[in-house]
Amino acid sequence: MDKRLILAVAGSGKTTHILNQLDEENRHLIVTYTRENIRNLKSGIERKFNFFPGNIKLYSFFEFLYSFCYKPYRARFDKPNGICWDNPDPRRRIPEKNRAHYFTGDGRIFSNRLSKYMFRIGLEEAIISRVEKYFDIFHIDEVQDFGGYDFDFLMHFSALNIRLNWVGDFFQHTYDTSRDANKNKSLHSSLDGYLNRFSEVGITIDQDSLFKSRRCPKAVTDFITEHLGIAIETHKDTIAYVQFVDDPAQIEDIALDNSIIKLFYRNHNEYNCYSSNWGKLKGADHLQDICVVLNKKSLELYKKGKLRESAPLTKNKLYVACSRANGNLYLVPENLLLKFKKP
Amino acid sequence: MKIINRIILHNFKRFDSFDTPLNQRLNIFIGDNESGKSSILEAIDIVLSGSRSKVETIGISNLLNKKAILDFFDAGKHYEKLPKIIIEVYLDDSGNADLNGDNNLLGINSDGLSLICEPDIQFSKDIKAVLEQEGKNFPYEFYSISFKTFADRSYSGFNKYFNHILLDNSQISNEYATRSYVKKLFHGNADVANRSVLENKYRSLKQHFQRDILCELNKGLPYQFALQSNSKSNLETDITITEDDIEIENRGKGRQCFIKTDFALNKSKFELDTILLEEPENHLSHNYTLQLIDRIKEAGDKQVIIASHSNMIAARLGLRECIMLNSSGTSSIRLNDINESSSRFFMKAPDNNVLQFVMSPRVVLVEGDAEFILMELFFKRLTNYEPHQRNVHIISAGGKTFKRYLDLARFLDIKVAVITDNDGSYDKYIDHNYSDYASDKWLISADKNDELYTFEVSLYHENKAICDALFGPGRTKLTVLEYMLQNKAECAFRLLEEKANELAIPSYIQEAIAWISD
Repeated sequence: MDKRLILAVAGSGKTTHILNQLDEENRHLIVTYTRENIRNLKSGIERKFNFFPGNIKLYSFFEFLYSFCYKPYRARFDKPNGICWDNPDPRRRIPEKNRAHYFTGDGRIFSNRLSKYMFRIGLEEAIISRVEKYFDIFHIDEVQDFGGYDFDFLMHFSALNIRLNWVGDFFQHTYDTSRDANKNKSLHSSLDGYLNRFSEVGITIDQDSLFKSRRCPKAVTDFITEHLGIAIETHKDTIAYVQFVDDPAQIEDIALDNSIIKLFYRNHNEYNCYSSNWGKLKGADHLQDICVVLNKKSLELYKKGKLRESAPLTKNKLYVACSRANGNLYLVPENLLLKFKKP
Repeated sequence: MKIINRIILHNFKRFDSFDTPLNQRLNIFIGDNESGKSSILEAIDIVLSGSRSKVETIGISNLLNKKAILDFFDAGKHYEKLPKIIIEVYLDDSGNADLNGDNNLLGINSDGLSLICEPDIQFSKDIKAVLEQEGKNFPYEFYSISFKTFADRSYSGFNKYFNHILLDNSQISNEYATRSYVKKLFHGNADVANRSVLENKYRSLKQHFQRDILCELNKGLPYQFALQSNSKSNLETDITITEDDIEIENRGKGRQCFIKTDFALNKSKFELDTILLEEPENHLSHNYTLQLIDRIKEAGDKQVIIASHSNMIAARLGLRECIMLNSSGTSSIRLNDINESSSRFFMKAPDNNVLQFVMSPRVVLVEGDAEFILMELFFKRLTNYEPHQRNVHIISAGGKTFKRYLDLARFLDIKVAVITDNDGSYDKYIDHNYSDYASDKWLISADKNDELYTFEVSLYHENKAICDALFGPGRTKLTVLEYMLQNKAECAFRLLEEKANELAIPSYIQEAIAWISD
């Protein structure tokens, strides 16, 4: 049984890779995390087949966990009332054997403890057989987002006796599906350690299939490799450039150009221009030229040629931001955009 | 194709709890009036259709078990003890994950659908207020209705998992029932895309009529006549079913019942999963009933669930497919353990009283018409009661078929007295013959005197003077006894009419009646 984790780089076509695997014969389970990805996959499937085949089930991660794995076994017993997206108050220490450790007073289950709860009540085996019963191939997009107890659950799925086609980009890890105290906290601290967790449970690591970007031009991938220390190559041979801009006139042109998105470290809403935050556009593939706004700290590091030493999550978000470019990448210091800041 | 393999009812109508497995193909709920046959079909219909409005129309107060409500009040009106209505339909594995889960009363992993009516937690304060009032005010209004699969997925009439039809022949003249029947069958034979095309063509035909034909009439009028085209007047509302160019509504009731059932059983493109037939024998003559039985038998592998109290339907479709409901209790008995040969016997036997037999707590089986004619009289004289007042049914088994009935009785809690002849050897034909049939629930009663080999002989022996006086005059060739033996039923009838109070009752019959009425 082929069980595979494909390590992909930004823009290498993860979604397309999954779409290519789909057919109308096998029963496919696709789980992904972001809403953006659900949309991409859904429209991709409809484009491919001209309808949405009944043999393909597309779930967001928590819908899968809650509606497919948990509720069929325990709904009548636990009477859950939905999912609570806020994490439980860490100061209130409730023993793990109590219902209140997992559920709010009004019966909603804490999203970051759903996996933990299923382990607690011993649903693993039942869920394994349920997935095996209804599916032939299990696709996961954005594997890198699994964290906390959810990662343990993911590891448990390695025991499935069906084909596993999991795709992720370690460096696009910008948030966790859930976090709970110290559970799997250091999971993402090194690539080797991370990959080890998968090979330990018998999953083949594939770093060759999707190592070239179809989106970013060579100038951008070179920039990412050089400055962020993330190995990425490209299929693209169009000419583009990466430019650090500090000429106020050119900055104004860029800021006013609504075909160029301005990507901020955070709080992009404070600026009066077409904008977003670095990590937010994971999965987006429609942007041509982009402008990455460097905050004070990253500007310093950039100037020293040490962007790769940014805090891991920051670096990953910056990677997501830079790799959105289908065309040119502009780098602009945040302090030169003050003019556009809302009063 | 989805198959129902089990039904569980909890606090539904007369059933506080009811649980029965179902056969893959054919199921016949048999039972007396008020035994709950129709309620079971209704429960299945409700849960399969996922229709809230169906439940609302009937009303929670009419669905919730009356005893559960009384118990609730007797136990002191505690909020947490408010009774729930649960209907669960267990299905064979259908390959659909949305149906599969552990959310059912048995806590087993299965495909299935359920209806739960329970106090709505949103209104718990209002419910508390109602309960705090004096007297027995039950908070029906605050019950929620939820349709869920065993995977805890909600479903409704619009996104349901099951395709079924309920044919209620007692509602044959109900226009709404006929409409929804026609619609269902129309949907069964044309898919959504096809229906849209037909709908569209129908609308344009109407437009043509209006433009080309009504225009004459409309000429010079200040306002125009036109054809309606809206939700109340479209292809689905106008379509009907015809046979030989006669609309189904205009056929006789019997023929209507027949056509409807037959058409539903027919193989259609978009197969119905299950067909529910409520008293299909309604309005049907003997002959039509037989034809209908043939159609049901031939209906391929479609699951059919029938509620009936027709002897013919139960016996001819096979007793092994029958699920018997008792009107006193709420339990059911499946007759599928009856041995094959006895089941086939009742299938082939003349239309007899097999249902009466299985549904009676106490039965006297006699051999033929003569015994049958006199037995009621004997019973009344010995006990001062009519047999039915003591829950005793007298059945003429028509010859020596007692063992078939006893095979049936093995699975039922029935007390059976067999009154038979010794045929000249009590040892051989009674003791030995019935040695495999020893039970304290049965009594095989025959004259111990081998010379009194048959009923008429015993009767003559006890009532020589009466018989001679009644049948002697006019005899030239035959003796009185010979005459009685050759005219059994006629003689019994004359004895009943003319000598009812004087007849001496043979002792083996006395014993049997004393035993059965005890």
